Amino acid sequence: MEETGAVFRKELVSKLLHLHFKDKKTKVSGDALQLVAELLKIFVVEAAIRSVRQAQAEGLAHVDVEQLEKVLPQLLLDF
Amino acid sequence: MMEEEEWSEEQQRFSYLQRLKAAVHYTVGCLCEEVASDKDMQFSKQTIAAISEVTFGQCENFAKDLEMFARHAKRSTINTEDVKLLARRSHSLLKYITEKNEDIAQLNLEKKAKKKKKLEDENRNSVESAEAGVEES
Repeated sequence: MEETGAVFRKELVSKLLHLHFKDKKTKVSGDALQLVAELLKIFVVEAAIRSVRQAQAEGLAHVDVEQLEKVLPQLLLDF
Repeated sequence: MMEEEEWSEEQQRFSYLQRLKAAVHYTVGCLCEEVASDKDMQFSKQTIAAISEVTFGQCENFAKDLEMFARHAKRSTINTEDVKLLARRSHSLLKYITEKNEDIAQLNLEKKAKKKKKLEDENRNSVESAEAGVEES
């Protein structure tokens, strides 16, 4: 897979995670934040690419929510 | 009076959530745009919004799992081992994440080495120019 340009910024990832922590003392290491950012990026790219493949398989010219809905279950299982 | 304070807190939290969601939506949009031009396929706005929502929701699962993994290991700081556990369900995902982790660690080592060398060079230069100054006077 070629390298894509957009990334999830560390600060955003940190805020997203801290939103759901139950313990106030929970912290995240810098490296872990970078890794979670990578994970999120793959999640989005996978969702996008699988939806495209679904649209192509259906002979469609563009991707709509219906295609995403079809690929979502497997995507969530893979993550 | 108390009710007003509570309502305002509610509003603040709500707009904080909205800002976070908007930030996620922006990055998701950029990533989808890259995929779209690579595969020559357009995404409807609703699709991008839907991916963005699912991603935001997935963060909750990630966060809770990560917190539990760290706690299970009797740590309060989440580290990369915890993140790798998140990726355990798919073999290719785990492999990719493990490689990325090594890339990140390598990159950070190189950054530290560069920083250390730069500091050493600066120190050496300032010592040399100080000595030169002393000799001249």
